[in-house]
Amino acid sequence: MFSKGLFQSQAIRALHSTSKRSLTIPFLSTLPQNPGGVKGDVNDACLPPPSPDRLHGSVPWDVERVSAVALIPLVGSALASGGDVSVVADSILATVLLGHVYVGFQSCIIDYIPTRVYGKNHNYAMYLLTLGSLFAGVGIYKLETEENGLTGVVQKLWTASNHSEEKK
Amino acid sequence: MLSLGLNKPLMWAKPLKMMTRRMVSTAKTTVSEQESILVAQRKNRPVSPHLTIYQPQLTWYLSSLHRISGVVLGLGFFTATIAFGVSTVFGLGLTTNNLAKWYHEKVPTWMDWTAKASGAYLLTFHFGNGIRHLIWDTGRALSLKGVYTTGYAVLAVMVIAGTSILTW
Repeated sequence: MFSKGLFQSQAIRALHSTSKRSLTIPFLSTLPQNPGGVKGDVNDACLPPPSPDRLHGSVPWDVERVSAVALIPLVGSALASGGDVSVVADSILATVLLGHVYVGFQSCIIDYIPTRVYGKNHNYAMYLLTLGSLFAGVGIYKLETEENGLTGVVQKLWTASNHSEEKK
Repeated sequence: MLSLGLNKPLMWAKPLKMMTRRMVSTAKTTVSEQESILVAQRKNRPVSPHLTIYQPQLTWYLSSLHRISGVVLGLGFFTATIAFGVSTVFGLGLTTNNLAKWYHEKVPTWMDWTAKASGAYLLTFHFGNGIRHLIWDTGRALSLKGVYTTGYAVLAVMVIAGTSILTW
């Protein structure tokens, strides 16, 4: 009984005297934070109130669902046929997938590189994602017009080694 | 009076004790002094515990895996498409055949299998769990039972479909 109580009180003390250990990205500069993460006096609910943002409405949510629902038959048919899909289907798949991945990475940046902690670096991450997505768009255009498409790349990477293994 | 127990000495001892304990000195503070005391106190606030304190459960483990699988697959998608985009813009001459040749000659077998296993299982998981999320978005299967049933179903789909893709 005594030892249990002792351990419990030690555990509580250890929890309450824990120093702040934030998991931050090492190479990105962070902003200084307010003590306890609170700004203003006890009567300030929120300083300043959040400004309206077009990303806070329901339209982006709907767009995300549309892309996700559209990907079910597109990815499903590509998987079921082993990658043998038409150029049109592959073009739609690659384009919708680019949008889906872009939105998903945006969510990750919002969650893990927030403006509150990283300041301008949040915007730079967003610009980098957009720049990369533009290059990805060019790459998809190239794949669909001159190559066998996105599924063609996956197919070639996936199957050829099996053949070479069979040869061995 | 007897029934209320007011004649017991214990009843009066407590308030008397409290009275003596309250005989501490108080200091008058200005508003700005109060503010600085508040800010100093906020620095001593305990930090909330991180994820490691929670019991491992299917609910939040699958939620984490959904994002991790999405990020891994998204990175794979971006790597391929951005490589083709950069190659097109700067004229580096990357083709599907080039890429497949390099992959099958230079990438060691263990890395090939790791990539394929991650691709197969993470893709089937993200596909299945994405459908699970879309079912939730329509307001269905939101009970504890529904969450667990669909969760185990998604894991079963991942094992079966992932293995069948891996051994294509």
